[in-house]
Amino acid sequence: MIERWLDAAQRAGAQQADGWWHRAERTVVSFEWGRLKAASVGEEAGVNLRVLSQGRVGVAGSTVLHDGPDDLTARALASAALGERFGLEFPGPCTPAVVSTFSAPAAEASLDHLVGIGREVVERLARDGCQVNVTVEREVTETEFGNTAGAAGTYQATAVAVSADVWRIAGDDVLTVADGIDDTGVPDASALSALVQSIDERLRRAEVVVAPPEGGLPVVFTPAGLAAVLLPITQALSGKAVLQGVSPLAGRVGERVFDAAFSVTDDPTRAGRPASRPFDDEGVASRPTPLVEAGTVRGFIFDLETAARAKATSTGHGHRDIFGKPAPGFTNLVVGRDDGTPDGALGGQLLGPIVDGLLVDDLIGVGQGNVAGGAFSHPVALAYRVVRGEIAGRVKDAAVAGNSYDLLKRIGGIGRDRRWYGRRLTPSLLFDGVSVARR
Amino acid sequence: MRDRLTAAVRRAPAEFTELRLETSWTTAVTFRGRHLENATASVDEGGCVRALNRGCGWGVASFTSLDALPQMAQRANELSRALRLDRPIELAEVPPHEADVDAGLDGDVRGIGLEEKTRLLEAYNGAMLSVGGIVDTVGSYRDSVTEYWYLNSEGTTLHELRPEVTLSGSAIARRDDVIERGLASIGLRRGWRSAQGHEGEFRAAAERAAALLTAPRIRGGAYPVVLDPELAGVFIHEAFGHLSEADFVFENPQAREMMTLGRRFGTPLLNVGDNGAAPGLRGTLPFDDEGTPTQDTPLIRDGVLVGRLHSRETAAAMGERPTGNARAISFRHPPIVRMTNTYIGNGRGSFADLIAGIRLGVYACGAFGGQTMLENFSFTAAHGRMIRDGQLAELVKDVVLAGNLFQTLDRIEHIAGDFQWTQMGGGCGKGGQFPLPVTEGAPHVRIEEALIGGDVPQ
Repeated sequence: MIERWLDAAQRAGAQQADGWWHRAERTVVSFEWGRLKAASVGEEAGVNLRVLSQGRVGVAGSTVLHDGPDDLTARALASAALGERFGLEFPGPCTPAVVSTFSAPAAEASLDHLVGIGREVVERLARDGCQVNVTVEREVTETEFGNTAGAAGTYQATAVAVSADVWRIAGDDVLTVADGIDDTGVPDASALSALVQSIDERLRRAEVVVAPPEGGLPVVFTPAGLAAVLLPITQALSGKAVLQGVSPLAGRVGERVFDAAFSVTDDPTRAGRPASRPFDDEGVASRPTPLVEAGTVRGFIFDLETAARAKATSTGHGHRDIFGKPAPGFTNLVVGRDDGTPDGALGGQLLGPIVDGLLVDDLIGVGQGNVAGGAFSHPVALAYRVVRGEIAGRVKDAAVAGNSYDLLKRIGGIGRDRRWYGRRLTPSLLFDGVSVARR
Repeated sequence: MRDRLTAAVRRAPAEFTELRLETSWTTAVTFRGRHLENATASVDEGGCVRALNRGCGWGVASFTSLDALPQMAQRANELSRALRLDRPIELAEVPPHEADVDAGLDGDVRGIGLEEKTRLLEAYNGAMLSVGGIVDTVGSYRDSVTEYWYLNSEGTTLHELRPEVTLSGSAIARRDDVIERGLASIGLRRGWRSAQGHEGEFRAAAERAAALLTAPRIRGGAYPVVLDPELAGVFIHEAFGHLSEADFVFENPQAREMMTLGRRFGTPLLNVGDNGAAPGLRGTLPFDDEGTPTQDTPLIRDGVLVGRLHSRETAAAMGERPTGNARAISFRHPPIVRMTNTYIGNGRGSFADLIAGIRLGVYACGAFGGQTMLENFSFTAAHGRMIRDGQLAELVKDVVLAGNLFQTLDRIEHIAGDFQWTQMGGGCGKGGQFPLPVTEGAPHVRIEEALIGGDVPQ
């Protein structure tokens, strides 16, 4: 398939080229406010083509595939006429990682089956005074990659995501609790139960509203709540940030920057994860990339371009869309290490020693501020006060602030509740002396 | 094309069928510092069929291969028939329209070469780089022309050419460990001619970033706050506008109660509306993506909730009239209830009048971002100035405005008479559909007291 575009590019004058063809079929059933009112399918296919012409790099994309490759090729070459020279080299054939990305039961699941999953979650989450939204989404994709250096590969992948949010509006008080699961396969009964229990526990604990504490306090961030703390670190671990001079971790490989309990690996070979893949979108074999080990910075993620510009090697993190150019991106970000059977209870067994503090599950406005420096300050969307080791109730009208680099130097405790939250596997983390303000 | 689409809709098996078809020619150019990151032109084409049958749900099928159109109409019908509903979906009546809309492409961007577009952006990016203290920039140019078709089985046929140009600049200033940024963002439903002459906005963004290097962080606390028109507009869109989207309330009894028409919503000074028909704005279109004509919809009048934004489905369910607010970001998505150009109506007096009585307060300007969790919101202003003894004083940074919507609307104590629209790039996100072109407008607005984060008091 992709050969056609590579041949056309070379015929039109490109010295080298790489192409990425992607086809996706998506089926979505959504229960809005408890009712199944819509089902949709979406099919799309397109090609992203990159060319090297006189050492200059150009890229173009299209979903119009029936007219042949000439228009796309011409646009890629026009892009290359303006493109920069930075020593980009396409990799030869690789040995793809052995990773299962495709589940036949997921690909073949009927509409009724997907509806059934959604209905079960709706029914199990139904309760007085609450409204439930549930979406079940199944995606089947096919990806083909090839370049003129001889790399070629194709794979199929599946993903099934179930997400739910429950709303309770009482007067002008609005509470929403949301969660979701995803996997390459159809979720089993235990995965659905975990989803229901996770939402249920956070709802029950939120029934009582209590006054927020104030001051520098012990704060537990749940796997979801950690987003604000981890965002500056993951940004800084991208080779692109290093290249741009905005990563505070640049030039610190081998240096102990964080608590010895803090480790981060990006792992595109995790079984069952929708972001896993045998090779990246530039034909580089997938492999786990250690980024932080026991508090010491080990490296950054790179795609071909950032690697070429930074005089580094691609770590297999090239991400592509039909439109635009490839960019480095994380796949499955793994924080901490495997340590026995996870315990799904809220707080991950970290609350016991807390005399007065906070459990943070969701913050408002993550990513809005000056993320690079590590400082954050956010009102809480969903947080609980912890008094003498127990959750006392939900707090509203509070804000937490801190600096990720300072907090991660001293981790007060690691929860036993490690779980996937989107593309991140992480436990809850406890930090002491986090600034909590009341308003 | 018209005949082919008309035939497809006529042959579609569902009781109600609508079809959208789009072809978009897009150019995107990005500079990072002095480097050209990318200059590329792409073509995107596809369609979306929605089918509805009595007593059944919506069936939706989107596709990129036009040859698949008849099968996709079948597929949408099958999906619709697979969903049985106890309470049927009704659609509010909209008379059929036939229109061929050519709003003018204002200099068709498809006739301009990639190189010329790159040179234009290089000049804007250069304006940022020429400012002292700037260590990095991102400049981006994006244009598109979309040929748009909408047809439904009730006889509506619309054909439009929709232009769009967005320009944005982000300037990073750095001194030792202090990193600050300034943003410029321009989004227009226009063409190449309107993309010219914006150096000043890019330079100002860079100068702001450099100035913030030496500005102190604001001390957190409760202050009287004056919002500039840009931030006031973002505020009303995020904090109130989304609540007025009827898909949020129409099947949720508690939400419906919270948003009962006639309820007091803010002080009597407050007037809010959404106007998809306002001439020349980025959120403006003659029809929405269900073929309903757009209009000016009052939402709050003199501090009382008087209206909300509808699709045909939500309007029918609530016994109200459709407002032309069913929108989709592309053929990949079905239309959902969205804003267009959302505004706070004009008040009286000048900016100087607004700050005159403030002994110690904050003038919050521009928006780096904002998020609402319904009644709670957080907005990060691009920068702020302290107000001291009725005068603007020093520049301050890290101005994060947080609060409760209802309390904040009740504390609006003065609205100036200096209304303006802010035509930014980016766009609105909802239900996985981002970025939808919208505009916000407002005059300066004074809030009696609001919580400002920053250095959180210990």
